[in-house]
Amino acid sequence: MMEREAEHMANTVIGSSIVIDGEISGEEDLVVQGTVKGKISLKESLFVEGSGIVEADIQTQNVEVAGKVTGNINASQKVELKSDCRVVGDIRAPRILIADGASFKGNVDMDAKGR
Amino acid sequence: MATNKEMTGGAAGATVIGPTITINGKLSGDEDLTVRGRVEGEVTLTKTLFLEVSGVVKANVSVKNAVISGVVVGNVRATESVELTKEGRMVGDIAAPRVILVDGASFRGRIEMGDASVSRAAGDRVGRPARVSARPSAPPRPPPPPRAEARGMANSKSTVTPILSKIESKSPPVPPALAAGKRKVVVRKRER
Repeated sequence: MMEREAEHMANTVIGSSIVIDGEISGEEDLVVQGTVKGKISLKESLFVEGSGIVEADIQTQNVEVAGKVTGNINASQKVELKSDCRVVGDIRAPRILIADGASFKGNVDMDAKGR
Repeated sequence: MATNKEMTGGAAGATVIGPTITINGKLSGDEDLTVRGRVEGEVTLTKTLFLEVSGVVKANVSVKNAVISGVVVGNVRATESVELTKEGRMVGDIAAPRVILVDGASFRGRIEMGDASVSRAAGDRVGRPARVSARPSAPPRPPPPPRAEARGMANSKSTVTPILSKIESKSPPVPPALAAGKRKVVVRKRER
């Protein structure tokens, strides 16, 4: 439900044929259908869709991954790994959801006190 | 935050960089890109870059088409066209076969329209003979000064004026001289 809402709300979409090598920062939702390498820091949510590939350190409020992420994820609220996603890296967030079918390798830190 | 443009952009499913987003680095792709935020570094697309009013691009841009309503600092190279709309502001060089600057657009830099300049030069060459051929009606212009001189030199009237008139009667040499003068003007235009 969150995802659908967010997809309609999202201002920023990185399309499937787009490759970004560098830093992305902002204060709005970001939908990645293409490839992003480097660093992502947002004050809102990051959605990595099925076709999305992120090789970056991520610092956001919420993260939803249905594609591939290689890098550390640091979320102030929630990280959700959907089925069929592939994530390699450490996750640090107060709420972490890993769906059946998701592939994940790394450390998980849900220390709520740190927030 | 939501605008009509945003809705159309979303519906198209093309890539959109929202107004609060900053991208620092290289961006490349094979689809249209709409920028409402900030992109710094390098942009390479095989389709069209739409830079909206709120958008800022400080980058070297290489695209097929660019429609600029925002701010560009950097060089833009397009394989088809670059359009600066009335809200567009740009500092940098443009290289594209078609460049459109709309009234109100602000631009500082060089424009190079590679292929277009060749065809224009050819067009000038075609145009020149027509101008020259139209000039033979103009030769009356040179005679007045000699006559004035002749009047000043009363004695030489009889000798000088016929010679001049003979020279003038050989109209072919005169138009080339005129043409040469105007050719220089055309050369200046080219330099610009």
